[in-house]
Amino acid sequence: MLQRILVWDVPTRVFHWTLALSFAGAYLTSEGERYRDIHLALGYLMLGMIAFRLVWGFVGTAYARFGAFLFKPAAVVGYVRSLLSPSPQHYVGHNPAGGVAIFLLLTLGLLIGLSGLGLYWEFGDEDLFEELHEITANLMLGVVVVHIAGVLISSVLHRENLVRAMFTGYKQAANAVSITRSYVWLGMVMALLSAVFLIVYLSGS
Amino acid sequence: MLTLNRCMQALALCAAFAALPAAAETPQDILDGFTVEAKTEAPDFQGFDAERGKLFFNSTHGNDWSCATCHTSNPAASGKHAKTDKVIDPLAPAVNAERFTDLKKVNKWFKRNCGDVLDRECTSLEKGDVLTYLMAIQ
Repeated sequence: MLQRILVWDVPTRVFHWTLALSFAGAYLTSEGERYRDIHLALGYLMLGMIAFRLVWGFVGTAYARFGAFLFKPAAVVGYVRSLLSPSPQHYVGHNPAGGVAIFLLLTLGLLIGLSGLGLYWEFGDEDLFEELHEITANLMLGVVVVHIAGVLISSVLHRENLVRAMFTGYKQAANAVSITRSYVWLGMVMALLSAVFLIVYLSGS
Repeated sequence: MLTLNRCMQALALCAAFAALPAAAETPQDILDGFTVEAKTEAPDFQGFDAERGKLFFNSTHGNDWSCATCHTSNPAASGKHAKTDKVIDPLAPAVNAERFTDLKKVNKWFKRNCGDVLDRECTSLEKGDVLTYLMAIQ
């Protein structure tokens, strides 16, 4: 018996889409100096979001915790293989492959942000950070592409709209528990702070 | 103890090499490279010209920015980024010995900045003219 259950709390959703937009925006403004202020602002925003997520991975709601999507390599391989079989495995929260994508994206995002900070504020080795900034950004773009492909494939195979779930927070599931709190206020604070930061930063330059 | 000393010596040697700059070009080396390229790009190449370089440096080329917008019209002075207000170190090698000593960096920044100012890459003639101008500044 399928039930509509709340899986993603509001801060997790705000984090997800802010990270996605800030990465995309920073990538698009990376060539040349014309949009350097926007590039920097989005970089700070991305770092702030990742910092939040690192904390939320320990204190957040059930499905958002790192422990909920830290799978053994065998489980990741097993999940990907099952996608090719007639009975693909199904997870209510992040599936094992999605979990890998999240850890990769967080790590790459941190490296991109820290090397970017180093380049702008002139700490660390400039040549090393330049290479690191570019390579990790391109790797992250690659992971994003695989992540989006995985979301689409899983959505089709499991007949569930994972993209919509990341907007509404809800999924259809049997024998699974809904999270009890959605922390709307925290999500609102994050969205508001992000907007205020961008406006203040970009109007100042 | 002898082996330990050897290890320390080897480490010190490694550290000394690691501390060397990655590239050891001089501005003249880089200018020579532009000369070679300019000759292949234009068979009638007559050499670079500092005055032409200065004009190029200060011209907006039909857009809103010139090189001088950020670097100021005095390349011996510090500039200021048009978007972030960040200080930009002087371009003239006479004032800033780090400038034009790393071909990779030179190519990267010409490509980036020509894109911003001219909406295209610069020709070797343009780059050589600008570098000739910058090298003439004392």
